[in-house]
Amino acid sequence: MIRARGVSRRYGAHVALHETDFDLSEGELVALVGPNGAGKTTLLSVLAGALEPSAGTVERRVPTGWAPQRPALYSRLTPRENVELFARLAGAPSAAVDLPERPAAELSVGQRQRLNLALAFLGEPRVLLLDEPTAALDDDRRAVLWQQVAALCAEGGAVVFATQLHEETERADRVVQLHGGHVE
Amino acid sequence: MRRTALLLRKDLRVLRRSPLLLAVLVSYPLLIALLLALVAGYANAKPRVAFVDNDNLPEKVEIGGRTFHVERTIRRVSDDVVLVPLERSEAERQLRNGKVVAIVRVPAGFVAQLRAMQRSPQLELETTRGLLASRVTQQMQALVYSLNRELQDAFIAANLRYVDLILHGGKGTFLGRRFDVLGLERAESRVRDPEVREFIEVAQLALDQTDDALEATANPIELRTNTAGGRTWALSAQVQAYALALVTTFLAAVLAGAALAAERDERVLQRLARGLASLGEVLASKVALAALVAAVLGLGVALAFGVAVEAAGVEGGEPWSRMPALVPALLLAGAVAGAFGALVATLAREARSATLVAVLVVLPIVFLGIVPREAAPAAGWVSDVLPFAHEVRLFDALLYELDPWRTVLVEAGWLLAIGTVLVAAARTLMRRLTA
Repeated sequence: MIRARGVSRRYGAHVALHETDFDLSEGELVALVGPNGAGKTTLLSVLAGALEPSAGTVERRVPTGWAPQRPALYSRLTPRENVELFARLAGAPSAAVDLPERPAAELSVGQRQRLNLALAFLGEPRVLLLDEPTAALDDDRRAVLWQQVAALCAEGGAVVFATQLHEETERADRVVQLHGGHVE
Repeated sequence: MRRTALLLRKDLRVLRRSPLLLAVLVSYPLLIALLLALVAGYANAKPRVAFVDNDNLPEKVEIGGRTFHVERTIRRVSDDVVLVPLERSEAERQLRNGKVVAIVRVPAGFVAQLRAMQRSPQLELETTRGLLASRVTQQMQALVYSLNRELQDAFIAANLRYVDLILHGGKGTFLGRRFDVLGLERAESRVRDPEVREFIEVAQLALDQTDDALEATANPIELRTNTAGGRTWALSAQVQAYALALVTTFLAAVLAGAALAAERDERVLQRLARGLASLGEVLASKVALAALVAAVLGLGVALAFGVAVEAAGVEGGEPWSRMPALVPALLLAGAVAGAFGALVATLAREARSATLVAVLVVLPIVFLGIVPREAAPAAGWVSDVLPFAHEVRLFDALLYELDPWRTVLVEAGWLLAIGTVLVAAARTLMRRLTA
């Protein structure tokens, strides 16, 4: 579903991701783990197309949803307005969102993360790229999220998620360890 | 196009939710325009000129039988400059430290020379090299010109009295000597030679014409000055054009820059870059936002000025009939300033820096645009490649020139060219935002 070859990413002189190959197959649930600064966020951003690789190629064969580590949304718009706008930009149907009708800047951290995840699910993506998706979520919301992830994988989709939590890696079919921008 | 429109709609919605920001963005350039107008008003203020009297001028001076009141003459000069009586040394000190912009010196023996009517006495004017010096020189030249006019009249009157003496005879004084003149009339009756009598007759006829001839020779051309009612500086065409250009430039540049930088701060650009909207579409939405807001607010400012002009009952402008033509000009000016703001945003690291840099950069551009080309040619050249001066000329021509279209085409062409360069540069540098 996603195929990356020789992908690297530089920030000036600093190399955040060294030549990396990555393949994602149907039904797979992949966990990216590693210490801070290992390159997990960079790899997910490059796979999502949010960041251009300095070298290498990324091939995305299906619609892909992306939830960055820090929510990427318009803070002056309400959750509904955010969802409507991104849905219309993507040419996808809008989705209901169970969040207060006030500017996103005034939401709690957890609520903003829920909105961030809702945007990732817009347009019924076959692949989800989630960067520490459960951060700031309460237990109930975590459970709902993992149910959605499992359902997608069961339907033939695939999910890659970055995490710092050991117990979350146990859900994964495959664990990719990153260190210093290298896949180990 | 659809995506640009969606982003533009989003930006307008965000702007609507920031009334304080909008109020500041509108009021700040208007405040600057007002300050500029005040500075312009100050430029019209009277410069201080030291008056050094080395001749101890009397209250009254009689020349050619006419009395000149020194105090009244000084008061007349004070309509244009503030004349400050000073000792010579103090005047020179104040000229050096800039408290006065010039010294007018009346040298010793000035009045005596004037009374003698033999040689022209000299007033001495010493100026600094500042911009006001040329104004003072012009004003002093105008004063000397008007004094000369009055003295000429007195001298001509005195000369005519001598002519009268030659014609009709009588007692007179010249260079302090008293004399008794027979006069041509009486001379004619005493001369028997027909040729001499004929000469006297012709001389009488000629001298009879001297009066008008002398007046005409002294004043080949007379300038009659009428002061007509006009606009005050606050409502002048120039101030209105500045206000429009300021609102447009400032508002559009800051707004577009802040909107684009905010999108990067909110990390939305990366989301958009995933095929939701191209960088070109994002840039277009910011330029469109700037153009639209500049047009709406610029038109509001123009309407407010138009109402003020009508209320003040002043004439000489085209406040209403040209309004429709102002809209595309405002859109163009706003778009160019918006492209400039977007370029600033691509260079700044985050929204606050972008806004600050936009303000810091716009102000010198504005001031460069108001420096007269004659005062600093280099400022004019730099200003030519920046939008502000072209906007001022465009608005000025559109609103107040009788036949504005040539100027409008030239200035719009400049703005289009500058805007194209700015958009291209911003588009190239925008890749940094998602890097």
